[in-house]
Amino acid sequence: MKPTRARGCLLGLAAGDALGRPAENLPPEEIARRWGRLTEIEPGKGGTDDTEYTIFASSLLCRYGAAMTSADVAREYREQIIPMIDGPMRGAGFSELGAVQALRRGIDPPLSGLWHQHGWSDGLAMRAAPYGIFAAGDPGEAARLVAVDGVVSNSGEGVYGGQAVAAAVAVAMTGALPGEVVEAGIAAVPGDSWTSRNLRAAVAAVAAGSVEELYEAVVVRHYPWTDLAPEAVALAFAGYLMGAGEVEESVVSAANLGRDADTTAAIAGALAGAGRGEAAVPERWAREIGPVTGRCLPAVAGRHILDAATELVAASPSWKSA
Amino acid sequence: MSSGDRIRGAFIGLAIGDAAGWPSARHRSRLLAPWSRRLERELDGFAEEHRVTTLPVPFSLNQPVEPLAIGPSDDAEWLAWTALTIRDDRAEAFGRLAGRSDLRVRISVRSALDNLAAGKLPPASGHDNPHFFDDAAAVRAVAFGAIGADPRADASVTNAGDGVHAAVAMAAAVAKLVAGGPMTSAVEAALAELPEDTAIGHATRTALAVAREAGDPFAAVPALDAALLDHVYSYGVAAAQTVAVALALAEVSGGALSAAVPAAACLPSLADSAPALTGALTGAFTGYQAIPEGWRAAARTLTGCGLPDLAGTDLIDIAGGLV
Repeated sequence: MKPTRARGCLLGLAAGDALGRPAENLPPEEIARRWGRLTEIEPGKGGTDDTEYTIFASSLLCRYGAAMTSADVAREYREQIIPMIDGPMRGAGFSELGAVQALRRGIDPPLSGLWHQHGWSDGLAMRAAPYGIFAAGDPGEAARLVAVDGVVSNSGEGVYGGQAVAAAVAVAMTGALPGEVVEAGIAAVPGDSWTSRNLRAAVAAVAAGSVEELYEAVVVRHYPWTDLAPEAVALAFAGYLMGAGEVEESVVSAANLGRDADTTAAIAGALAGAGRGEAAVPERWAREIGPVTGRCLPAVAGRHILDAATELVAASPSWKSA
Repeated sequence: MSSGDRIRGAFIGLAIGDAAGWPSARHRSRLLAPWSRRLERELDGFAEEHRVTTLPVPFSLNQPVEPLAIGPSDDAEWLAWTALTIRDDRAEAFGRLAGRSDLRVRISVRSALDNLAAGKLPPASGHDNPHFFDDAAAVRAVAFGAIGADPRADASVTNAGDGVHAAVAMAAAVAKLVAGGPMTSAVEAALAELPEDTAIGHATRTALAVAREAGDPFAAVPALDAALLDHVYSYGVAAAQTVAVALALAEVSGGALSAAVPAAACLPSLADSAPALTGALTGAFTGYQAIPEGWRAAARTLTGCGLPDLAGTDLIDIAGGLV
């Protein structure tokens, strides 16, 4: 396995996050009205919580490795995240703030991910890629590890969404075809789950070439928030399949589907970048990805996503033995 | 006191709680013309823009004023619908509502109806649902508790996880009360249905502890707010919060509706359904005859603000169908 896949995965994630950012919460028709097709990163704006939480998850893996426990993750939240929240928590989703409020009142995992109402959010799926890099080639281990982190902030379908992404990235890291990558994601979650049903519906809709069918099957029409993991992960995988695993086309396809566009494009970028490597991320996008500001997570301010990728490779036992 | 009186008590208690919470007037204002509600939203914007603290309330310019009188709304209507259809297959009963455009329903119910229309049957219709955890099924479970029936098949059409646990717990408590049991045994019966490692199990035990510590329902309000609510999410219908509050206030009030329901209405973010659930429990305990006549009169006639077919129907007549 080549380090370029790890760097491609996280650079693809950061590029998708930054590109999808202005399209977040917009329907496809509105995206088409504003941009025709959204293909460029807004200069100088950078990414959002997806990139910053991914760097945080990478740092957890570098510190604790495969022996990481949910208690370790909760302690890191209490030491690294909570004390540095000065006033409002910026740029995070419901599940992160809900988990922080639970941890603040002394509730520990897994109850910290259950106690609030947003266990189903895509907050774990957005930071799941490092687990697939760490356990490259071993989707079962990637799915196990991401849930160790995930139960601190999420529950149920929110954990499954993270497991689908981590397992799919672990297989994409081997250079597998997009169809195999998506199947690995589906195989990582219970068959009788919303995530599994939506992922299978997304595969069918993409095969049928129908965005309408995709929307009909996975988008919850009468709900105002777009961060439902079963929906977001299905749209992300759909974008990746529509782009046939190419980085640019996967990211752009996912972003132009709208809804939680920064997160869905980030996940599509992670899958495609893992498969195609760093050089496949368009250079005009890579130039826009600098060190993160810490706007969402002050603990990671100044860190670069590519450094996180390199450190992750150095820390991973599967890479040492390879 | 007869079990029939307690069943009527549960129904009117739920309707009184439904009427007592501030969202009731919002729901009932659905009976006014849409432009009148648009004007209210514009007045909200006016208050923001002009930085005035005089906030708009539901009003009726050139519209009938009756809908804005104190009275029941969505929860009482769903209880009535459940009682009227309780012998029907649940997926079939809901299936008759799927595809109708004249209903106003909760997010969990709307998502479930969409799922049913798309061919997704229970339990997936309640599970693949962004508000699977809400208390829609817990409200309907009052009817199942009244006749000592299992609410699971009904609950799993619209809910899963905590939403189904909540329904089973509410039905168990109401069944105990209708049989003449004391409030403590009803709360125990509910707790037995709420596993400790669920959000609702944890929250209910926490709510009972802080309410007992406070000693009476009104005194418990700030403690319940501090212990249960994180004020993070945009909706206040989670069963883990509303059912927990209802059980805690019902117990600490000793079953006194006139003490427990107003306390529940003092938690603004839970005021859509926690007072209704609290009213169902305390009403089942005290029975219909013991409830103040003014409230019984105000709460028994449904307006059809959510389920139009029920406009003008009498909730107590409908409850009588279960006796």
